[in-house]
Amino acid sequence: MLIIDNLTKTFGSATAVRGVSLNIERGAFVGVIGRSGAGKSTLLRMMNRLTQPTSGRILYGGRDVTALCGADLREWRRSCAMIFQQFNLVGRLDVMTNVLTGRLAHASHLRSLFNIWTEADKGIALTALEQFDMASLAAQRVDQLSGGQQQRVAICRALVQEPDMILADEPIASLDPRNTKAVMDALLRINKHFGITVVCNLHSLDLARTYCDRLVGMAAGQLVFDGSPADLTESVARELYGLEAGDVMEAPDAAVPARGAVAAAA
Amino acid sequence: MNKLFAKDQIAETTRRHRGAMVIGRSRRRQQAMFAIGALVLLSFGLVQAEVSPTRILAGLGRLGEFIVLMIPPDAGSSTRTYVEALGETLSIALLGTMLAALAALPLAILASRNILPIWLVRVLMRRGFDSIRGVDTLIWALIWIGVVGLGPFAGVLAIATSDLGAFGKLFSETLETADQRPVEGIRSTGGTALQELRYGILPQVLPLIAGQILYYFESNTRSATIIGIVGAGGIGLHLSEQIRTLEWQKVSFIIVLVLVTVAVIDFISSKLRAAISGARPV
Ligand SMILES: Nc1ncnc2c1ncn2[C@@H]1O[C@H](COP(=O)(O)OP(=O)(O)OP(=O)(O)O)[C@@H](O)[C@H]1O
Ligand SMILES: [Mg+2]
Repeated sequence: MLIIDNLTKTFGSATAVRGVSLNIERGAFVGVIGRSGAGKSTLLRMMNRLTQPTSGRILYGGRDVTALCGADLREWRRSCAMIFQQFNLVGRLDVMTNVLTGRLAHASHLRSLFNIWTEADKGIALTALEQFDMASLAAQRVDQLSGGQQQRVAICRALVQEPDMILADEPIASLDPRNTKAVMDALLRINKHFGITVVCNLHSLDLARTYCDRLVGMAAGQLVFDGSPADLTESVARELYGLEAGDVMEAPDAAVPARGAVAAAA
Repeated sequence: MNKLFAKDQIAETTRRHRGAMVIGRSRRRQQAMFAIGALVLLSFGLVQAEVSPTRILAGLGRLGEFIVLMIPPDAGSSTRTYVEALGETLSIALLGTMLAALAALPLAILASRNILPIWLVRVLMRRGFDSIRGVDTLIWALIWIGVVGLGPFAGVLAIATSDLGAFGKLFSETLETADQRPVEGIRSTGGTALQELRYGILPQVLPLIAGQILYYFESNTRSATIIGIVGAGGIGLHLSEQIRTLEWQKVSFIIVLVLVTVAVIDFISSKLRAAISGARPV
């Protein structure tokens, strides 16, 4: 079980996450919801230690994750794979190499610097790609792929880390509805089939309801809701988003393609 | 019906935004001052350099005589010597550029904010690059001739040193333009700092850096000719000798040889640079 204990992050005078405490059981599919700027990304990034918490602790299996450094820290990052809204792949490298970077923490350090991989690692990467119908694109440069394909490459990279947990920061915000479904289905399959814990930031309440076992709501850096999708009533949603509930319930469908268009233009 | 821009509305807006109208005027005044300043500097320079029209006219006649003496270009019996010397010049340029690039890349990595966020190291390295760069290749050639003696080795060192400064600055600026997102991607998988560099940053910047190296190689074939004149090996030495002994046909032969070679290298290198910046996984 992952225990988040009174976690806080401040950037200068601004507090992005304020005293969040949360327990996440193994195998859960947790959705983190809340309006823009609520601190969802910051919370996830602190879990992977891409962002260093200002105070508070994260405990996993009795160990204090926030105190890890060096090889232990890298091993922790390996065990909680991250999926990003902008994919964060290396565009100039091919699909295969990008997926193989998920094996960096497993591989020999010296060999990895020369881009030399064992047959076993390559086999693992290909197997992951094949599960998402991407094996035929293995030699393709990543920056020539569509957004949906890139996010699937990113999911493969996360999978070959052989993680205990996957942290997905708005993984579908740059995708069209069809790719959105493909990516969310993939996360669900990973969760149900392999028992990997998934924590997923989402903007769309509909998606959050459809895919998650448990929803966590954030507002202004604080935890304001924690319950099952059924508990997420209109009044709770209104509190989370500070809008008319009707707007909130409709917004997701309109919001997904709109955000995608912005990302594509950028 | 309302007019889109009614007169009184324009007048009223103009009055409220006096400041915005004045900015244009002060810019014009700045431009005028700049032009006057440039004129003053130009006349000062003309006087300082003892530029005089009569001397130019007299000199033009002499230039004409030289050109007549240069035709047709003819190497006499020295063709082989000159071609070999040209080969030496190209080697100086190539070796110098390569040495500079090899030494500059690790230093540039240390001087890049996104890789080593230590302010003091960065500032010291940047100042170092600037100082090395501030000294011209020709001066470096004279210095190295003093150290290792006349010959092509001094030429290689001269080009390597002056380009080390230029490359260090250029490379570190290029490294800093790298997108941080792939780097975070690598970090999130549990990669080490070296792996972040290898997979996150270098694939983004190596094609750009290769283009910069080629560009410098192009211009170094010219510099290598010049530094030959002060004794750092290559074709330049022969060129200055033939000018001193007034062998104008040989001079023109060497000049044509250099021009053609530089043009060919420019052509090949620009094609290569285009190919690199196109598409190729690293
Ligand atoms: N690196 C940073 N430096 C300064 N402030 C930051 C930084 N990262 C986040 N913040 C601030 O922290 C707050 C929370 O940001 P965060 O990205 O966690 O929100 P979010 O819930 O993920 O929003 P969104 O839905 O728009 O992605 C915001 O006010 C943001 O401006
Ligand atoms: Mg976010």
